[in-house]
Amino acid sequence: MRFSDEFEGRFSEMLSHYPTKRSVLVPTLLYAQDEVGYLSDEVIAELATRLDLTELEVRNVISYYSMLTTKARGKYNVQVCTNISCMLRGAEEIFEHCKKRLGVGPHGTTPDNLFSLEEVECIGACSWAPAVQVNYDFHENLTVDKMDQLFDECKKEGTQLRNL
Amino acid sequence: MADVNITVDGKKVTAPAGTLLIEACKSVGIEVPSFCYYPNLSLQGACRMCLVKVEKMPKLQTACTTVISEGMIAITNNDEVRQARKSMVELLLGNHPLDCPVCDAGGECELQDMTFSYGAAESKFMEAKNHKDEQQWSPVVYFDRPRCILCYRCVRVCGEAMDVWALGVQNRGVVSVIAPNKEDHLECEECGMCIDICPVGALTSGAYRYKTRPWEMNHVGTICTHCGDGCKTTLGVRRSDSGMQIVRGDNRDKSGINGDFLCIKGRYAFDFADDPQRVTTPLIRRDGQLAPSTWEEAFELIGKRFAEIRDKEGGRAIGVVGSNRTTNEENYLLSKFARVVLKTNSIDHRRTADFPAFAAAMVGKPHAAATMRDVFNAPAILVIGNNPTEQHPLLAWQIRNNVRLHRARLYVINSRPIKLRRQATSFTEIPQGTEGQAAAFLGGDDSAAEALGSGSREMWVGLRDKLRGEGKLIIIFDSAIRGKDISALVKFGSAVSGAKFVCLGDYSNSRGAADMGLYPDFLPGYRPIADASTFKDEWGDMPTAPGLNVSQMAEAAAAGTLKGFYVVGSNPVGGLGLDPFAFSNTFVVVQDMFLTETAQMADVVLPSANAYEKAGTFTNTCGDIQLVKKAGEVSDVKSDFEMIVRIADATGFEVRKLVPFGGRGTSADMGQSRGAQSGEADRHVVWLEAHGLEPKMSPFDPMAILDEIQRLVPGYDVSRMNLLAGNDQHTTTVGTGQGGVQDAKLIAPANDNLFTSGTLGRYSRALNSVIENRNPEPAEEVAAD
Amino acid sequence: MPILKDIAAIAKGMSITFREMFAPTVVENYPDGPGPLKGAKVEPRYRGVHVLQRDENGLEKCVACFLCAAACPSNCIFIEAAENTNELRVSGAERYAKVYNIDYNRCIFCGYCVEACPTDAITHGHGFQNASFNASNLIYRKEQLLAAVPAHLGANAIFNRADVEGGAAAVPVPGS
Repeated sequence: MRFSDEFEGRFSEMLSHYPTKRSVLVPTLLYAQDEVGYLSDEVIAELATRLDLTELEVRNVISYYSMLTTKARGKYNVQVCTNISCMLRGAEEIFEHCKKRLGVGPHGTTPDNLFSLEEVECIGACSWAPAVQVNYDFHENLTVDKMDQLFDECKKEGTQLRNL
Repeated sequence: MADVNITVDGKKVTAPAGTLLIEACKSVGIEVPSFCYYPNLSLQGACRMCLVKVEKMPKLQTACTTVISEGMIAITNNDEVRQARKSMVELLLGNHPLDCPVCDAGGECELQDMTFSYGAAESKFMEAKNHKDEQQWSPVVYFDRPRCILCYRCVRVCGEAMDVWALGVQNRGVVSVIAPNKEDHLECEECGMCIDICPVGALTSGAYRYKTRPWEMNHVGTICTHCGDGCKTTLGVRRSDSGMQIVRGDNRDKSGINGDFLCIKGRYAFDFADDPQRVTTPLIRRDGQLAPSTWEEAFELIGKRFAEIRDKEGGRAIGVVGSNRTTNEENYLLSKFARVVLKTNSIDHRRTADFPAFAAAMVGKPHAAATMRDVFNAPAILVIGNNPTEQHPLLAWQIRNNVRLHRARLYVINSRPIKLRRQATSFTEIPQGTEGQAAAFLGGDDSAAEALGSGSREMWVGLRDKLRGEGKLIIIFDSAIRGKDISALVKFGSAVSGAKFVCLGDYSNSRGAADMGLYPDFLPGYRPIADASTFKDEWGDMPTAPGLNVSQMAEAAAAGTLKGFYVVGSNPVGGLGLDPFAFSNTFVVVQDMFLTETAQMADVVLPSANAYEKAGTFTNTCGDIQLVKKAGEVSDVKSDFEMIVRIADATGFEVRKLVPFGGRGTSADMGQSRGAQSGEADRHVVWLEAHGLEPKMSPFDPMAILDEIQRLVPGYDVSRMNLLAGNDQHTTTVGTGQGGVQDAKLIAPANDNLFTSGTLGRYSRALNSVIENRNPEPAEEVAAD
Repeated sequence: MPILKDIAAIAKGMSITFREMFAPTVVENYPDGPGPLKGAKVEPRYRGVHVLQRDENGLEKCVACFLCAAACPSNCIFIEAAENTNELRVSGAERYAKVYNIDYNRCIFCGYCVEACPTDAITHGHGFQNASFNASNLIYRKEQLLAAVPAHLGANAIFNRADVEGGAAAVPVPGS
């Protein structure tokens, strides 16, 4: 299978960082997931061959880390922190609202493949709780209204991109 | 390494630096319980069962990962430690089902033992247990997830020790689960090591599942009857309608040369014994059909016909074919029987390696034959040809783990990218069929390098120089190297200090068959027919001209000069491609378990016992001799030994001259002829031997002829007591220097893989079920650094 | 006066004889008494011929764990295990006893098997009339030892489902 040149560049650069090949597995999986959207069987097979691992070993690592997934996700992966600081400042309410607004449960993806929802442990934004991470972006000091705003913006952007 | 002094529970312990605390404790008899720790596997520290108090350390330490240091003071049995163990067991039992009464591991479960020794009677956990259904991962491996305690032993033994990497751990924390490599099933070597090493009943064997319980069986440690490596397998036997049924095989007795290892054949492929197609009555051909008969009638007929042919046409009109799977005693007896009773030297077997040439090349180097144990300890190993992973699984295990644990250097020269290349320091690919040239080149014939394909001459010279520089090199080769190539290789080895050799034969007693002289031109111990003086004194009169080999026998039968053909436990028609119609005017007697292609054309078929149903000795391909004990029993079959003696008797020969039994004044068969059935009987045998009281009262007692073998066959004068105690003894390879004149074309390697095993494999349900379940294309080879 | 001593001793002894003469009898009228026990009275904890119990679904409680055979001091219990399948479900667990024999030639009714049983499958019943002129009759098979199917399950629905579906009358299987 083919990856982008950017991926290949990163991959070959990383290989030089470690004494053994298998050490680059975790960052490589992250890059591959960013590029493909999720870790398909094809990706797993390809990386296993490249790194002289078994597919089973690659799967073991993927199943260990919650940020790695073998199922397709929406374009915006909404990760709501419900750890203690956020929870005290209303994260549960926000999470409930997200479920209602998107109409999916945790680890669910909306039918238009735009959003998927996840409940996560502390994302390190306690000072600005409650916080939500959408893909790699943080959104802080949220309320239900702000959340709605965020969804609208994402939806607009997503639909525009799709129509391009 | 320097020694370190520590104190454990007030006892002074001295151990080499680098020793783990748990091992140091064990060395003075202090048991530290653990699940995940297993000697020779990587450390895991997962089960937390081995927590001990180490002074000046703030918390309890895991003894399995703590390396001892000077002055360390450890306490393994105070209240704190006991409480910790109790809590660990309680946690492990949190979701472990209490189905011990149905669990296969019940009675030999480490968790049971630990709960009994260290656990609490009550649990604080009230939650309902989380049940998951049992999964079948392969025809022989079942996984019961709730029973798993996540010690990861199976994962490590499969990956590190077997180099298969078929098991892994998925998810993390409380939801961790052992997973097979192909989503819901395994694609692996099916060795069953994971089942053996599992401390609980999470991984269970498909063959033994729910059949019986460990204390209901007798456990007999005997030698596997499949490949030539000679693993010790412990067979669990139970009384059945027709005798003793073998219910399971495992390696609970780790004293064998195989230590922890057994492959699929040693573990599961004992079931050919109960195959419904097994012959259990003597068959005599009447009106063109094989019809059931009685033993008396069969022996009488065979004795009469053989004596007739011998007296009328001379011994040359009778041919004998021996087996690679009968014991040394039977092979020796057959060799003697053919020459002394039938007066023929036409005796042969399926040759799977050029042992005579090997013995000849080893003249003057009696200690240069490596043992199977040596292979695990040698600093350097050279493997030319063969694929040990498939054909000699134990040898591959020894090599692999030697490389892993002792950093041995492995050199592989092969025409295929065999799996052992992954452990190799150097892998050199050569064109198919040029193993002999490689040997010749190493032996100094530089011109042979041209045949060796793409590798440059400098590369080959460099490799040879490097190998010459290796001390204590073990050189391993198979039947691809024959005749003068063997002497070239041995010559090369002589230049290396302390070099040893292994010549690989394919079946469980191929080496024994060769050593016992199943050759038309060699007597036992590779002594040429012409030089028979020692044997003449003992055996009496015998023919002096070399006899016919197997293919010559077939030609003679076709030409009408071979009138009698006696086949013991072999299938020359199916295996060597002899023309069955050539024998249509020959009186053919076959001793076998099944109606093989050869048995189908026989005039008399005698049902024989297999190696699991009789006693004797086997010599493995390295020359390690080991005791074979009787485990199973099927009524109405006889051992080949007894049948040979009875046929000799029926020809009118005085049996005492064939088997020197009795003669010590005792007058009872003390059980040896029936074989040892339990550990107690084994010890009794050793005791009798130690006091010079071995009775050998019956002419069917193989031990009676073992005396003669030990006396007459060079290299077999090993310690009888050690042999009887179940230890492996190394025979020294002593040739006469005249063995290299064999026709190399007669060697027919078995080419069995992990899941086939000649005739036995054809009738093994376990092996066949695994073969049926495999993908047509070979399993994808895996690698790990 | 030794003679007086002798008379006193005899009188004391005979007093017991006469007292017992008028006491009500404790001998059971076995085997001429009424009822299936023919007049015998059995204490509740009497250890008689074993009974293999069934659970509330009519399945056998025995899971063929062999612990009774292991505990047996006279080695009189013989078991062969087999695996339950969806088609043939005999016990509640994965395994059941295909063969379960007790050799009453050897059994000493010590009750260790009952003690050992983890599933309370084997119990001592009150049967004691097992004398026989033929020793081979004393090897009891599983069919002889099994408790009857509970009455509320009537037709032994689990074992003979095929029979019931085939129109057989829903009656308990005798002897099981």
